[in-house]
Amino acid sequence: MIKLMIEKELKNILLSPKFVATFLVCSVLILTSVFIGIQEYKNAVAQYEANQQIAQINMQQATNWGSVRNQVHRKPTPMQVFVSGLHFDVGRVSTISDFHDVKLTRSPYSDETLFAIFRFIDLTFIVQVVLSLFAILFTYDAINGERENGTLKLAFANSVSRAGYLISKFIGIWIGLVIPLLIPILISLLLVVLMGVPFSGGEWLKFASFVGLSLLYITFFIGLGLLVSATTRKSSLSFLLLLVIWVGGVLILPRMSVMASGQLVKTESIAQIEAKQEAYRKVRWDEYSSTISEMWSKRSQEMEGMGEDERTAYRDDKEWTWLEEDDAARKQVQIDVTANNRKLLEETRNKKQLQERIAFSLARISPASSFRLAAMNIAGTDIGMKNRYEESMRTYRDDFTSYTEAEKEKSGNDGGFRIEVDSDKGVKLDFGRNDQGLDLSGIPQYNAPIRTAGVILSKSILDFGLLAIFIMLLFGATFVAFIKYDMR
Amino acid sequence: MMFKLIFVKELKEIVQSSRFTISFAVCSILIVLSFFMGAQNYVSSKAQYEAAVQEGYNQISANTEWIGINHSIMLPPEPLMALVTGISNDIGRDIEMKGRGELRAENTRFNDEPIFAIFRFMDLEFIFGVILSLFAIIFTYDAINGEKVSGTLKLCFANSVSRASFIAGKLAGSFVGLGLALLIPLLIGAAILPLFGITLSNDEWLRLGLILLAGLAYFGLFLALTIGISALTNKPSTSFLISLVIWIFAVLIIPRASVLVSGRLVEVPNIDEITAEKSRYRTQLFEDDRPKMANFSAPEGTEPQKVMQAFSKHMSSLSEERTSKIQVFEEKINENYNNRKREQERVALALSRMSPTSVFSLAITRLAGTSLELQNRYMDSAKEYQKVFADFMTEKTGSTGSAGFRMIISSSDDSDEEPETIDASELPNFQFQKATFGVAAKGSILDLGLLILFNLVFFGGAFFAFLKYDLR
Repeated sequence: MIKLMIEKELKNILLSPKFVATFLVCSVLILTSVFIGIQEYKNAVAQYEANQQIAQINMQQATNWGSVRNQVHRKPTPMQVFVSGLHFDVGRVSTISDFHDVKLTRSPYSDETLFAIFRFIDLTFIVQVVLSLFAILFTYDAINGERENGTLKLAFANSVSRAGYLISKFIGIWIGLVIPLLIPILISLLLVVLMGVPFSGGEWLKFASFVGLSLLYITFFIGLGLLVSATTRKSSLSFLLLLVIWVGGVLILPRMSVMASGQLVKTESIAQIEAKQEAYRKVRWDEYSSTISEMWSKRSQEMEGMGEDERTAYRDDKEWTWLEEDDAARKQVQIDVTANNRKLLEETRNKKQLQERIAFSLARISPASSFRLAAMNIAGTDIGMKNRYEESMRTYRDDFTSYTEAEKEKSGNDGGFRIEVDSDKGVKLDFGRNDQGLDLSGIPQYNAPIRTAGVILSKSILDFGLLAIFIMLLFGATFVAFIKYDMR
Repeated sequence: MMFKLIFVKELKEIVQSSRFTISFAVCSILIVLSFFMGAQNYVSSKAQYEAAVQEGYNQISANTEWIGINHSIMLPPEPLMALVTGISNDIGRDIEMKGRGELRAENTRFNDEPIFAIFRFMDLEFIFGVILSLFAIIFTYDAINGEKVSGTLKLCFANSVSRASFIAGKLAGSFVGLGLALLIPLLIGAAILPLFGITLSNDEWLRLGLILLAGLAYFGLFLALTIGISALTNKPSTSFLISLVIWIFAVLIIPRASVLVSGRLVEVPNIDEITAEKSRYRTQLFEDDRPKMANFSAPEGTEPQKVMQAFSKHMSSLSEERTSKIQVFEEKINENYNNRKREQERVALALSRMSPTSVFSLAITRLAGTSLELQNRYMDSAKEYQKVFADFMTEKTGSTGSAGFRMIISSSDDSDEEPETIDASELPNFQFQKATFGVAAKGSILDLGLLILFNLVFFGGAFFAFLKYDLR
């Protein structure tokens, strides 16, 4: 009996103009978005590769180890075709050198503001906004519509249980909605393969969990539609109610919760932090110059009363130690400045993390937020992406600078100027020498941070779980409501 | 006469329907909410901005010399920017000032606070563009065919009513009824601003007024479009579905797809390649100068103090020379790049205007001063300020401060007196060139005109569709 009813339900749906419209819209939307997504991904990869070469060439241009600096880039991920997340908003390049702290700058949108006007549309957006809307269209009159037509009474003239009826309704609608989603998705996977996007095993797994997540999300809206339809008498009312819930849950609540947490937890702007960093830097370097001048006056005091030859000998003897002392003081300043920069950033980051926790907890009242957050997390374009990259770039910077420092010492040329003023010999200038052709083969290479499947899973389990709980609650409620439903 | 009757009947029907009540309540809440959140957003960005400016001054005030100060200017937040965000969160806000050379804006808001980029802000562009247009469809999808299904259409024409006055009354009634209804929360929203202590200048009020009018025009064109579709179909469910599909294409697809596709038609040089080219040129010039630096010599027996001064001068002149060369080089590259970019924008935006939603977005971001032009305006203001800053620095230090070489000579026999710190308030203030009503209105005239044109076309379409409508 259930099979028969599912068949009937499916037939109804597949032959309806609703289905045709959904299929058409989904296909056009999904295929366009994936096609554009692939193009953008390829652009990003081409840019990324070109940039790595540019960075290499720039490094080779350096003439001494003191002036070697690298530029490292955020690596595009194939999953951004489907879940662009924060890819376009977060900076993509950082300079790595002694004098610069790591900072991702130049987001794709800031470089190409034209595309920021309307922004990109990815599969996540389509599922989150458009498919949920269609789910409502498919379900708002599932029960009360049949009552209005009088077909509900007719159906129960046969020996049908209410549970069986509800289940067949659900399955019929579910299949009717999933077909317009899955077919274009399959075609777009074909596009991905044909257009040469490198999809590894891990990527396939991520994609599969993303599709699973999307199905969960749609199931939620089907359940919601059935519930509202089973608790109202008129389909026009259930439609309006559902639409209001949809607007609130999908479009408003996520934005509001972020705004609210922004009000609750105030953070400092980067400009303010940078001003603080600059203030400390200034103080430390001023201290440094007074320390250095004190050290030199002490050194000249030591030489007081020596004869000319004695003085020269003493100086030749001590020169290396003195230089090392100066250099150690300089390094200490750089270490302190870096440490202070990081401490200030850390403080803000903690605040931001609190802000995020509050915002996301509030936002998760709406499954639309759960869906989006989990999708971004699976794809790796989530809110943590920036920190992950900056952290790994900091580690790299430490490796990089210790390597160049060591090479600088080995070559005995820091590329700096040296000016000596001697009351007898006058002024002596040393401009360092150009070590043509530095051997860069041993220089550490930057590797993008890797997230293990375990980490991804543990971070998205909450959202998957929430969606599942929401769905179960809805089905329970729908069942109860329908058992009590007045069919007349 | 008959028109008036139908007009009034339509108004009454709208106000009495439960659909209107619920939708109107939701719309009103959302509109007021968006003003409320915009106001809060503005207040907190302003606080952040002021704190950063203060911190910058404190940091400069700790210096003992003007030379080598690190001065940044910031894009000041504006109330209209919070109400219609446009690209204001996607462009760099902070510029490190130097007396000469190219300026770079860094630190976009979305990069600093990516949390806001996930769901973005709820501004007027979003409320009108996405939500209110959807509600326009909900309000009117069964305006004509609904009356047919319920049989009231035939009843109505049992009287001596002309089709023309019927449809005109219907269109005018729904437009005026719903438009006036929306005006209430919009005005309440605007009245919220002063409660937050936000004072708008007359110019800003004018621009806001025009933004709201553009919003109503945009809402109106969706009303007319949906009524037209309702007059072309027999069943409300069909007209709703068609309208929804059109809505999805107009609001979600065409603006994005057209900009992306046509934007990529025009090749723009790779920005990273350009940046790298500039930095290579800079390094090259410096390396070329190394021998010249080493060539410095002073006559035997000159006093060290004098030698250092001469050396400093030697270095500065070399550096000035390099800066001039770099400037010429960069200007040449930038010009080509900017021309290509402008061409790309022109092509992409022209195509996107197929959709009324893009037209509307372009119009109101232009009015709010957050369209693509914001970036140029900010950079122009920064360049203006650069001149003032360079003059100031020259007056204080004798060079523009950009020369890249400075020498602080201190000798050990300095007295123990603490050197005095500088007064940062002497720095000239950065004046951001705000958008003005005249310029903004002129810039958005094309889009405002297009909005009106869309309205006329859809109203006319609905009118003629109904004249041929099968009333049975």
